[in-house]
Amino acid sequence: MKKRGFLSILLDYAGDKKKYYTVSITAAIISVAAGIIPFYFIADIITKLIDHNEVFNDYVFDIIMILVLFLIKGLFHVLSTSLSHIAAFQTIKGVRKRATDSLALASLGDVKSENSGSLKNTLCERIDSTETTLAHIIPEVSSSVLCFLGTFVYLMILDWRMGLFSLIPVVIGVISYGTMTIGYEKYYKDCIEKTKVLNDTAVEYINGIEVIKAFGKSESSYEKFEKAAKEGASCYVNWMRNCNISFTAAMSVAPYTLLAILPLGGILFFNNLIPLNTFVICVLMSIGLISPLINAMGHADDISKAQVIFKEIDRIVSIKRLSRPTVSKAQPKDSSISIKDVSFGYKDEEVLHDINLDIKANSQVAFVGPSGAGKSTIAKLIASLWDPNKGDIYIGGVNIKDLTLEDYNKYVSYVSQSNYLFNVSIMENIRMGNLSASDEEVIEICKKCGVHDFIMNLENGYDTVVGDSGSHLSGGERQRISIARAMMKNSKIVILDEATAYTDPENESIIQKSLAELVKDKTVIVIAHRLSTIINSDDIILVNNGVIEAHGKHKELLAKSPLYKSMWNAHIQAKDGDIND
Amino acid sequence: MIKMLKMFFGFCNKKRKRQFYLAIVLTIIMGICEATKLPAIWYLFKNIFEGTFSLTVVLHSFLIMLIPLMISMVCRYASTMLQCDGGYGSTCEKRIEIAEHLRYVPMGYFNNNSLGYITSVTTNSMEQLSDIATRVVMLVTTGLINTIIVVIVLFFFDYRIGLVALGGVLIFMAFNTIIKSMGKKFAPKKEKADLGILSNTLDYVLGISEVKSYNLYGKYSKRLDDANEYGRKVYQKVELSMIPVQTIQTYITRLIGVAMTIVAILLCIKGENDLATTMTVIIGSYVIYASLDAMGTFNALSKIVERCVTRANEILAIPTMNISGEQYKTKSSDIEFKNVSFSYDKKTIIDNVSLKIKSNSKVAFVGPSGSGKTTICHLMARFWDVQKGSVLLDGKDVKDYNIDSLMENFTFVFQNVYLFNDSIVNNLRMAKENASEEEINNALKLACCDFVYDLPKGVNTIIGEGGSTLSGGELQRLSIARAILKDSKIVILDEATANVDPENEEKLMEAIDHLTKNKTVIMIAHRLKTVRDCDNIFVIDEGKIVQSGKHDKLMEEDGIYKRFVLDRKDAVSWKI
Repeated sequence: MKKRGFLSILLDYAGDKKKYYTVSITAAIISVAAGIIPFYFIADIITKLIDHNEVFNDYVFDIIMILVLFLIKGLFHVLSTSLSHIAAFQTIKGVRKRATDSLALASLGDVKSENSGSLKNTLCERIDSTETTLAHIIPEVSSSVLCFLGTFVYLMILDWRMGLFSLIPVVIGVISYGTMTIGYEKYYKDCIEKTKVLNDTAVEYINGIEVIKAFGKSESSYEKFEKAAKEGASCYVNWMRNCNISFTAAMSVAPYTLLAILPLGGILFFNNLIPLNTFVICVLMSIGLISPLINAMGHADDISKAQVIFKEIDRIVSIKRLSRPTVSKAQPKDSSISIKDVSFGYKDEEVLHDINLDIKANSQVAFVGPSGAGKSTIAKLIASLWDPNKGDIYIGGVNIKDLTLEDYNKYVSYVSQSNYLFNVSIMENIRMGNLSASDEEVIEICKKCGVHDFIMNLENGYDTVVGDSGSHLSGGERQRISIARAMMKNSKIVILDEATAYTDPENESIIQKSLAELVKDKTVIVIAHRLSTIINSDDIILVNNGVIEAHGKHKELLAKSPLYKSMWNAHIQAKDGDIND
Repeated sequence: MIKMLKMFFGFCNKKRKRQFYLAIVLTIIMGICEATKLPAIWYLFKNIFEGTFSLTVVLHSFLIMLIPLMISMVCRYASTMLQCDGGYGSTCEKRIEIAEHLRYVPMGYFNNNSLGYITSVTTNSMEQLSDIATRVVMLVTTGLINTIIVVIVLFFFDYRIGLVALGGVLIFMAFNTIIKSMGKKFAPKKEKADLGILSNTLDYVLGISEVKSYNLYGKYSKRLDDANEYGRKVYQKVELSMIPVQTIQTYITRLIGVAMTIVAILLCIKGENDLATTMTVIIGSYVIYASLDAMGTFNALSKIVERCVTRANEILAIPTMNISGEQYKTKSSDIEFKNVSFSYDKKTIIDNVSLKIKSNSKVAFVGPSGSGKTTICHLMARFWDVQKGSVLLDGKDVKDYNIDSLMENFTFVFQNVYLFNDSIVNNLRMAKENASEEEINNALKLACCDFVYDLPKGVNTIIGEGGSTLSGGELQRLSIARAILKDSKIVILDEATANVDPENEEKLMEAIDHLTKNKTVIMIAHRLKTVRDCDNIFVIDEGKIVQSGKHDKLMEEDGIYKRFVLDRKDAVSWKI
């Protein structure tokens, strides 16, 4: 990933609201100027006072000018912050949209390997938390810096010696701040390490609490956690103790410009090197000289936090995408599948080596093999969760890389054990299989795969909203609804990846029946660990160590493959443990 | 502001509160020290205007600032340390409090969701809070304290100027209230927008496979986009209506300055104040709005404080149970339920159940999912306290046991196992601290964990987070080895062998056979042949025992059990 500066990332995501930022900065500059010019009129007032001018009307113009300038300052401030807020919200929206869009385009396997909780957290809370930074930083940092520069230049014009002296406390402050970095590395490392230990201990203590309690270890584990928590706090306190002198000096001296200005002015005045009114106005200007600068520095932390978040977004946006055309180059002529010289690995480790395989249209094949052999990976490649690293997959004679994802998805259904139902009604969930289906058609399908009765038994029938509140649907019931949805889609190729595993027993036989309905007249690929399920398949493909070791019908394989035979025997024995045999 | 401080102080314990109070006192002293710049200015100008100016005067006025600065630095040093210690200390103590609390929370409360949440609060939220806790008190109080002190100093110069300044400060505060109530007014709308984005994003992220495979991309992302756009509009509207008010507020501080200047000019012209006082007051008007500007910039902080504190309190509000019963060594492992009822979230889960399980017998609980069979097993080991009736182990109510001596009797074998991020041998020693090498090897052998010896580091292999290097089947057998070492009298198998691939199933069964030898065995299972051989099978439906007896007897009755067995027959012999 290329490294980018914060501002370029920001402007990139701001999109067409970029100019808002430009205008916002311009408005901020005007606002700052309108805040500095009043010094001129105050100086005038002070001069008149010193000259013992006792006509109040002579002061009125100055006062009005000051009021008007402050008004201008206020108005432009409103303009500047409003625009930057508009731009900020637009940016946040844009970032979110970019991230979610790229999730839809990225290879599904990679998206699935992300932690959905932290993904949600990044896309919602963490993006939102950048709002203050995005909305305030541009006008505030620019106006703070400008305000300092403007006031400083004005001071220099009034009296360059006063101007230079006004910097002395800042310089002292910066130097003491600089000494804080002595030993920084050591303390920082220590804190990071202790925090990591603390977090790890917390994770273990909390996630393992059942085990801890079951083995009567709560006392000792608790003590371990307590120790980690205390160390996690004391390392920071130690760090602070170490650099507190520098910190205190920096924070106390840096804003105290008057400490240098007042004595210098006194000495200059004593030697008749500065007029009294200039002296007074210099003192006045020195009061608020440094605090805007410290203000701006305070944002440095926010900026780096926002930067981290934007980097994370950048990472999500740049998750590898499947390379698919925008228009399909050809349409599959049937539902046959052919895999040519396919190799694949998740990271560096290759898990599939040079797979070649032809699956006839409307045939039923099964992938079997020891766990970790790669049978599920082949199915996921066919399901287009990832693209192969090498080789190609064809559907009906067309390379799937030449199909748009949309066209491809019309042909293939992938049913696994964890199908997601959306937080909408059951009717809508099933209709997602075919958006143009009428209510009657949805109900028709549901009757066909045996979910109608169970849905009608729910309090709100088809209008029951599935989601957090509807989570009283059991895993098996959800699975049944998702199979109905897959049926609604009616694609020519169906991949069943352990589709009946992890379901409750009373649902399993019903699910099996609906699956039988689903796969009628289709090309079907089955991955099941219960071998007896698939003995009637047209072709059983035995995958071992990332290659196809053998294939054929059940009886052929039993005769020619010792591995298949031993798996079958193991299965028969385990099945023997089942309640019925 | 006061509300936030209250909330934060409520979060801290007594010692920490004292530290923060002391820090506030120090902040007041610092404010006073800082305000000496006005007398210093006044002193210098007074001598100039009265013609008594000399370099000694310059030195004096310098000292009037320098000496308080020294004092102020000492105070700042102490106050920073107090706040740092107080901030990190109070979050550390809260973490420990949570950990302590968890020891008394009923086991039944824990599930993946609740554990994930507690972990995130204990790590992330507390980390976030500890950073803020070190500066929140300072940030919130400094501006106000300094402003008040400057106003008081101005009163010393001229009470009329002091009154103007005071009036201005009050108006400023009034605006704070207005802004706050505006924020409150918008809060529900904002919340709705937040929720819309959150739930739609979650739906989208979790359902991304479906979004893609059903070509819902346009349709679904439209819903998300709408929520996103709605959020943007709401936020924008809220901010755009707040900004002018906030600006007027800052504008008021400038107006106070101007008003003070006008009054100062008038008083000077009338000859009521001398020039030195007039100059000092005009300069003072700038000082006052420098400190007013420092107020009211902690809205974002207060949100975080509120969120973190509420989350921690939520966890501490989880009801606990008294676990300090008697240390008791059981002689038998007879279990008895006497008219036990248990409900959770107002829903009855176990409804007046009575049963007896004899030592060394094998029983099974069978029933539809959600029938309560797992809860019954949980009640035996007091994962929850029952509301009615009693659960007895060895004739003694489980509530009268000290929790450790109760747990000694039970071993649970679940589908999901948790092993610590530690070596295999240390994980096993969890069950028996002083287990000899021989015992460890024996347990590994009985649990079919030969694979351990093929690992490069053998029993010293560290089990990675989530067990990345070992398969699920292997982890499960390791947990059985651990259970074998524990050698408790009662073994509870909760669907332990469901969904295991065939090559693992065989070994797992063997491991379980070793574990359950000569034990009281309670199983929740639907696939094991052993269910048929159980001494007693309890069929549970809707929290009640609806059938019980041996397999053959139950097969003769027309009930759930028979239907269940026939269904299973269908399922197992199913061919695609």
